[in-house]
Amino acid sequence: MKWPDAISIKQIALAFITGLLVLMSLIGGFAAYQTREVTRSLEQHNQNAAASELTSAIQRLLRQTDDQAANLAGWDETRQQLVLPEYYSYWRDQRVYESGMLPSHFVRVALYTPAGLLLAPSPAKNSLPARLPADISPPSSWLVDEAGTTVLYHAFPVYIDERHQTLLGYGMIRLDFMPSLLQQEALHFADKASVRLTLKPGEKLPASQLLSRLAFHALPDPDRLRFQSILSRTLLALFVLLMAMSLLGFVVYNRLLVRPLRRLSQDIDAMQHGRFSPHFSRSQAMRISELENVRRSLYEYQLQLRELHGSLEHQNREFHSQARQDALTGCHNRRAYEEDWEKFRIELKNAPQGVAFLLFDCDRFKTINDTYGHAKGDRVLSIIADALVMALRANDRLYRLGGDEFATFLSRTTPAQAKQIAQRCQSLLDASVFSDLGINEPVGISIGIAFCAADQLEHINDLPKQADIAMYTAKQPGRTRIALYGEDTERASQTLVASRETSALFQALASPGMIEMHYQSIHALPGRKVDYYEALARIRYRNDLIMPDAFLPVVSSRRLEAGFDLAVLNQVDADLSSQQLPPGIGVSINLSAQSISHPEIVSQLLELSRHNARHPLMLEITETSLITQMAEVRTYLDLLRTVNYRIAMDDFGTGYSPLRYLVDLPVDVVKFDISLVNKLGEDNRASQVVADFARMMSDAGYSLVAEGVETDTILHKVESLGIAHVQGYLLSRPMPLAEVAARFDDQNAGVNCAV
Amino acid sequence: MRLYLLCLLMSVFSVAAHATIVQQEMRPGIPANAEYLIGQRSKPAVLLLHGFLQTREFPTVATLGRGLQDAGYTVLLPTLSLNIPNRMQSLACEAVHKHSMDDDVAEIGRWVGWLKSHGHRSIVLVGHSFGSLQLLAYLSTHPDPAIKAYIGASLVEAQISTTSRQALIAQLEAQIQNKQRTLVTQSLSFCRKYTSTPEGLLSYVRWDQPRLLTALKQLPTHAQLIMGDADGMLGQGWLKALQHIQVPMVIVHGGSHFMDGEHEFDLLDHTLKFLEAHQQGSAR
Repeated sequence: MKWPDAISIKQIALAFITGLLVLMSLIGGFAAYQTREVTRSLEQHNQNAAASELTSAIQRLLRQTDDQAANLAGWDETRQQLVLPEYYSYWRDQRVYESGMLPSHFVRVALYTPAGLLLAPSPAKNSLPARLPADISPPSSWLVDEAGTTVLYHAFPVYIDERHQTLLGYGMIRLDFMPSLLQQEALHFADKASVRLTLKPGEKLPASQLLSRLAFHALPDPDRLRFQSILSRTLLALFVLLMAMSLLGFVVYNRLLVRPLRRLSQDIDAMQHGRFSPHFSRSQAMRISELENVRRSLYEYQLQLRELHGSLEHQNREFHSQARQDALTGCHNRRAYEEDWEKFRIELKNAPQGVAFLLFDCDRFKTINDTYGHAKGDRVLSIIADALVMALRANDRLYRLGGDEFATFLSRTTPAQAKQIAQRCQSLLDASVFSDLGINEPVGISIGIAFCAADQLEHINDLPKQADIAMYTAKQPGRTRIALYGEDTERASQTLVASRETSALFQALASPGMIEMHYQSIHALPGRKVDYYEALARIRYRNDLIMPDAFLPVVSSRRLEAGFDLAVLNQVDADLSSQQLPPGIGVSINLSAQSISHPEIVSQLLELSRHNARHPLMLEITETSLITQMAEVRTYLDLLRTVNYRIAMDDFGTGYSPLRYLVDLPVDVVKFDISLVNKLGEDNRASQVVADFARMMSDAGYSLVAEGVETDTILHKVESLGIAHVQGYLLSRPMPLAEVAARFDDQNAGVNCAV
Repeated sequence: MRLYLLCLLMSVFSVAAHATIVQQEMRPGIPANAEYLIGQRSKPAVLLLHGFLQTREFPTVATLGRGLQDAGYTVLLPTLSLNIPNRMQSLACEAVHKHSMDDDVAEIGRWVGWLKSHGHRSIVLVGHSFGSLQLLAYLSTHPDPAIKAYIGASLVEAQISTTSRQALIAQLEAQIQNKQRTLVTQSLSFCRKYTSTPEGLLSYVRWDQPRLLTALKQLPTHAQLIMGDADGMLGQGWLKALQHIQVPMVIVHGGSHFMDGEHEFDLLDHTLKFLEAHQQGSAR
């Protein structure tokens, strides 16, 4: 059985009153039962009394008849009639009644001779037997039924003397039994109308057996009926009174206790749900002092609670605001983004519309942060946020997802409008002044845009990822720093940040051996002899070879440069240790500028330097990334040079402050980027500039490498400029170590054959 | 005191031992009884007769009988049968009266004879009220030497109220002559509705005051009347009439017809005085 959690006080009152009524009903029922028992007992007593009084009445009647018979037997005039019956009829019909010997004419008497013969015939209406019954022995009484009338006969002897020695004759009294019995005033309990004595025709019932044959009912006792009536009325009145009292009690209880308690309960519930009754103080005073105390206490408590609640609400609003606001920039934070994005997606189901997701990322923010300190970095972020907020529409919200990454989603927009807004963001940011912060480098943002049309909202969840892809597309060198997913990321969408490549990268970093090094030969000019190989990383993933342009953006976006470079160094170490490359052949290794400052990288490089004796090693520092800790990098590079590493500036001509790097860093080799080298193939001023610059670099003592030489024209130009080394598909494509080794084996075999 | 108690006890035993019920069949089927109180042989026996329709138990005669016995007189207290077997109760006025003065006189004679048969040669007849009349009727028709004296207390005639006695007698005689057996209801003595056969009633009605006075005057023996001057039953001038015939008569002052109360003793005293005087006279 499950009990209810809680019951109301009204239910308790109802239960109590119901219980009281039930109890009173039980008591009433018990009283009624007892009354019925008493009534039954009284009825039985009545019946017994009726039987007793009937018995007494019969005995009295018989005794009376006996007395009458005795009187008659002893009466002188009776004896006279038995001797001188001349005036017997006078005696029989008149004298016995006048003398009072017989009470009334209901009682008749006749005299019989000693032989039992009637002294004289009786009148027809009062006929008595002509002879005494032979089977009786006077004195004797018996009853017979005569034409429906019960008749009592009593025969008695009459003696002449007092000693009863001489029988003079007999007398017989006849009386109507029922009237004689019932006319007695002593019958109070027996119902006279119910008294019956049924005799069979001709039956002679001895008076001694009379009582057993008498049927009767007791009269209803008026006192008992009155008692029952009074008791019933009393019980009814008591019940009605109790009902009225219960009802009144319930009303009073309801007014004094239930209603106030319910009101208090409602007020408490309202307080519990934060609804404070404005009329609480004006509520009616309660008549129960304890409840009034509770009400007052509750009122005071409510006041305090209201104040507390107000304070808490204020604080809560603040906390809520703070929880959803980025403390640094003042724009919405990631939590707000997640909540709003979820809510926005739900709303879109009811109101389909074109949605654009814009992802902003500050270019080279880490470098700025590292270079100018966190305070200025934070200020840069704040300025960026302000610019973006100003550029967005009034109802658009800007979210800082983390670090230098911001996002917004634009409702009811088109790709063109989204791009327009993105351009406005960039324009405003470009107009922002960072020089006050001492930052001379340009501070820009890359913006990835993903759009979902109103009829393609089932892909709404892909927008953040698509914007991410677009944003990294925008970050690619040479881009306008705004990329719209789908338009600008056709290729990138297949390579960039795809989950497959990302998975492969992370697995490769965790599992040695997945990074596979391909080697592209770098040829010395003139003569085009292979001087060394540039180790280029590939990832072998499920029998596919993932190229650097597919995973390097991921490395960069995830800030995995150090880990990736460490894996590359380990693989190069393994390759060199396999001694598949012939001695004397150098190997250049690409290294991110950010990795140089990592002790683990430096340590690994020092470890790798043991191969320098067999294979001269060169480190290619990519120039596309900003070197923020210039002094530290220089120190490490100096250290590495002591163990015979040569330092090359890779992709020269595409990155930041190349001249500053050349000045500040101990660079031995400068590798001209393909974009510069391709200029040499043109017959214009740009070609001249590049050529003059190359000669100037050579004159300054830098050893130059021309990358991406794919045509003979450019190769001749490079040779004419006196560039020491050349690299490109024209001469050789990158190939696995095994192929390189095999090629060397083939050359050796050819030499041997020639020898 | 002890002596007194002893005497009383002896007296009671003596009375009990000298009292008996005597029964005689007066007519066929009609026995009658009398109480026989035995006294001294030397004194006359007294036949004490009750009044109209009474028995020997009537207080006046019962008390007087006990007093006489106490005085040493043998007393016979008969109850006239009135034609009722073994009558023991006063007969109601309305009862069927089938008796007559002749029957009464005959029964008195039977009892006188019984006394004589039991050795009583000196008998005094004492009657009360109508019993005095019946004894007088007996003496007038049956003179007997054994009857030595007659005492009539509260002697009255057969009173018939205001009805003309002659007319009544004529009516009764006519009925008798016509052999009409119908019961007659007539005022007689103290009975307002005396129910009787014509013959019976006639036998009593004939005894009017003149006949009674005549019978008194012609009494063959000594007589004594004891009358109360407060007797309401007596007709006006009856006492004067009695005095007129010069029959010895004692008037009990204040005495009623029944001589009850203190007058019981007066009745006894006067009776004893008469008896003693009569006895002394006889002895001389």
